[in-house]
Amino acid sequence: MSESGVPDVTSELRLPWDDDPEDLYEHAPCGYLTTLPDGTIVRVNETFLTWTGYSRADLIGHRRFRDLLTPGDQIYHETHYAPLLMMQGEVHEIALEVVGADRRRLPTLVNSVLERGPTGAPRIIRTMVFNATERRGYERELLAARRAAESSEQRVRVLQQIVADLAAAPTEAEVAEAVLRAPEPAFQAASSSIYLIDPERDLLVAVASTDPTTGNWDDMPCSSTRAVAEVARRGDLHVIGTLAEAEAHFPDLAESMRRSERRSVVLLPLTTGPADEQGGVAVLGVLAFSFRDERTLTDGELRVIRLLGQQAGQALDRARLYDDARRREERSEFLARTTRALDEEHRLLQRARRLVERVVPEIADWALVRLQVGPAGLVEHHGGPAPDPARLGARTAEAIETAAPVFAIDGDGLGCTVLPLIVRGRVLGTLAVRMAPDRRGAEAERLFLVDLADRVALACENARLYEQERAIARTLQRSLLAADVPGADPRFVVETHYQAAAQDMEVGGDWYDAFLITANKLAVVVGDVVGRGIEAATTMGQLRSAIRALASAENGPARLLEGLDRFCDRVDSARMSTVVYAEVDLLSSEVTYACAGHLPPLLHEPAGSPQYLLDARSAPIGSRAGDRRRVEHRMRLAAGSRLLLYTDGLIERRTRPIDRGFEILAREYARLRDAPLKGLTAGLADTLVGRDHSDDVCLLCLTLGTEERLERSIGADPVQIALLRADMRGWLAGHGVDTECLNAVLLACSEAVANSIEHGYAHDPFGVVDVAATISAGTVEIRVSDRGRWRGPGNDVARGRGLQLIYESMDDVAFDRAGDGTMVIMRRHRGEPS
Amino acid sequence: MTDQWVSFSRRGMADLVHLKGEIDLANANDIGRVIVAHTTAANAVLIDLTAVSFLDSAGVRLLDYIVGDLDDRGKPIRLVVGERGAARMTLQLCAFRADLLATDLERAATDLGG
Repeated sequence: MSESGVPDVTSELRLPWDDDPEDLYEHAPCGYLTTLPDGTIVRVNETFLTWTGYSRADLIGHRRFRDLLTPGDQIYHETHYAPLLMMQGEVHEIALEVVGADRRRLPTLVNSVLERGPTGAPRIIRTMVFNATERRGYERELLAARRAAESSEQRVRVLQQIVADLAAAPTEAEVAEAVLRAPEPAFQAASSSIYLIDPERDLLVAVASTDPTTGNWDDMPCSSTRAVAEVARRGDLHVIGTLAEAEAHFPDLAESMRRSERRSVVLLPLTTGPADEQGGVAVLGVLAFSFRDERTLTDGELRVIRLLGQQAGQALDRARLYDDARRREERSEFLARTTRALDEEHRLLQRARRLVERVVPEIADWALVRLQVGPAGLVEHHGGPAPDPARLGARTAEAIETAAPVFAIDGDGLGCTVLPLIVRGRVLGTLAVRMAPDRRGAEAERLFLVDLADRVALACENARLYEQERAIARTLQRSLLAADVPGADPRFVVETHYQAAAQDMEVGGDWYDAFLITANKLAVVVGDVVGRGIEAATTMGQLRSAIRALASAENGPARLLEGLDRFCDRVDSARMSTVVYAEVDLLSSEVTYACAGHLPPLLHEPAGSPQYLLDARSAPIGSRAGDRRRVEHRMRLAAGSRLLLYTDGLIERRTRPIDRGFEILAREYARLRDAPLKGLTAGLADTLVGRDHSDDVCLLCLTLGTEERLERSIGADPVQIALLRADMRGWLAGHGVDTECLNAVLLACSEAVANSIEHGYAHDPFGVVDVAATISAGTVEIRVSDRGRWRGPGNDVARGRGLQLIYESMDDVAFDRAGDGTMVIMRRHRGEPS
Repeated sequence: MTDQWVSFSRRGMADLVHLKGEIDLANANDIGRVIVAHTTAANAVLIDLTAVSFLDSAGVRLLDYIVGDLDDRGKPIRLVVGERGAARMTLQLCAFRADLLATDLERAATDLGG
């Protein structure tokens, strides 16, 4: 440069890189600070002052470096920077923000070195400050990008979770619940609500909300002008970013936004596919979510939101199909189970009862079945509370008149569906049910109810027919059994008893019969037809008639059974019936009997114990495999013998062998030896079978001839006196006692027994009164004895009258109180033999 | 419960009580209660005993009570018994008043002004 003649500044000249140290210090591209160990600034360069806008005088000796930092960094300085510097002697690249004179913040990076004196004590700190404004901006961008990525990732994670939840949600309600949970974590929404479309009722139903206090929470028709309905119709995503926007387009939304303090709302239709696919895309509902602040959604977020709408829509669609299928399955299972349960009961009342007990609580909270049977009809109901009877009556009348179901409608005030029960075009009755109002599937529900009514109607009609048949069979059987058994013949007494099965069984085919073949020949029979019901009852009637027709003075039991075998060729239902048949010659007291597959008769002669008659046995009537050579057995019976014919229901029990049954019957029969004949068969049935028996029981007891001496023991029960009288009446008549004498003896005997029961056993219900009667050509003698307390005639008018009657009606009366009780001995002379 | 022994009808102004079967210690009280319940407001009572096959002192006590009650109220009563039979025998043995007993239902009804 000097060669050119330009003023020589060589003396001044420095090489460009030959910096003046002072200038270098002052104008270095970084700030320099020298501070005392306590941080007080003692030297600072120009660069730092320029960056921060402070003057040198502001800082030196007045401020500590720490004082220039933001409050947060001041703390950091104290807790990290300063301790680190003291320990290590230097710190590097510490990011601190320096607050300038104009309060602007300057991001910096700081390096410091601690210089120590000869003693090792801190002397000064040299600090270099780099301007990191650019770097900080870059960092911030990085951070923002990372946050965006994180938030996107978070959103995606939330959505993935939602999609997984949706896939696992089997019902509409669970899908709705899963969708509802999405907006808060995914988009930081304040709250969300879900509305589903009910196509059958054309309603948009508010299903669930994370905050039900927001929004209008009523169901709305799909045609409503409300924002939710509008969006459902349009089928595309609506983002209402501000209150002003809401006011412009959806006043109702603006109103609820104001009320619930929301600034932005998203209304997302839940669709079965992407919105751009025209046709085939159905809107199933709307998800609404809102923000407290005005919220701008990025394109990425909007894409995700649309995707959520599709995913949710598809899940809903699937769940609805699944719901429908499951509901159908449940309903058909219910129908099958109900039909089976009804089949288990045969009787109408029980079926009706079982029906209402199945319907409630499984499908309804109250049910009533009303059947128009019998004069009073039949009504069974279950559950509650019962609905208003007047309204129900009106609806029932309508269902009967129109022969069509009347379904419950929302808000009809009754909530009951009334279904007519129709069989073969006839309304048999009605079934009324009150079900929980169903949000969906009303049409399917109606079909189900109609199906239920059909099945119930059929079950009830079958039970009614069964009931009818049973009644006919019962009537038929009763009429056959009740036919007059010969009586009023002193040579024999027949006592019968029939007890129907208690457990609602059909009528059985057990029967008894007794008739006079000739004036001196009595036939008694007990039989059992295979099967039950009206057919068995009819067959029994036919067999009974056949026996009466076949019985003749000449035939005898064996020939009669052969006749029955032939009878089976024409009446096949009589095949395998069992019969015990006996003919009694009333003149010779000879009995001839035959058993066709039937249980052996039980004979009790006056002396000895009861014996089963095991002769004359052959196969059941019409048997093909059994021995059909019909045989009979003849024997003479002592006067006073009792012959018992019975059916298997009397002794057969599943729980014990038949031998045991025979033993028990013989024992009980012996025990009742002295009991009055009247009531004997009923008493036997009661003792052996009791009330709870599963089979019919039929008994016939024949007492033959007249005992020479009548001996009876009866319990201290007034009812027993009539039974005793019946025996004694027969016995007296059998001995040819005239009516006047007979009546007088009966009266005296009754009074004496009544006296024992009323007074002797006044305090002993288990007392026994013994009666013995003997007869001679001229006299009847009766002895009545008890072991109770004797009380004289006293002042008891009634008792006095009883004793008076005894004295009046008998010729001799004596009281014997020698033993531990009282015996009355009464005699009456017989009148002229009649 | 007592239907098998007792039934009721009217004959003119009289209440007619039909008894049948055996009346004794076992059923007399129940029968008595039913009769009293039916005849407390009666102006006249006819008790038809022709179908009674047995009558003991408990039955007599029952009839005695009913007769006494009607007598107290000044209302006429007749007991219709057959020419013979258990009921007649018992009542005669107990020496019931002859004016109470009748053998013919129609005539007894006429006597009572029915």
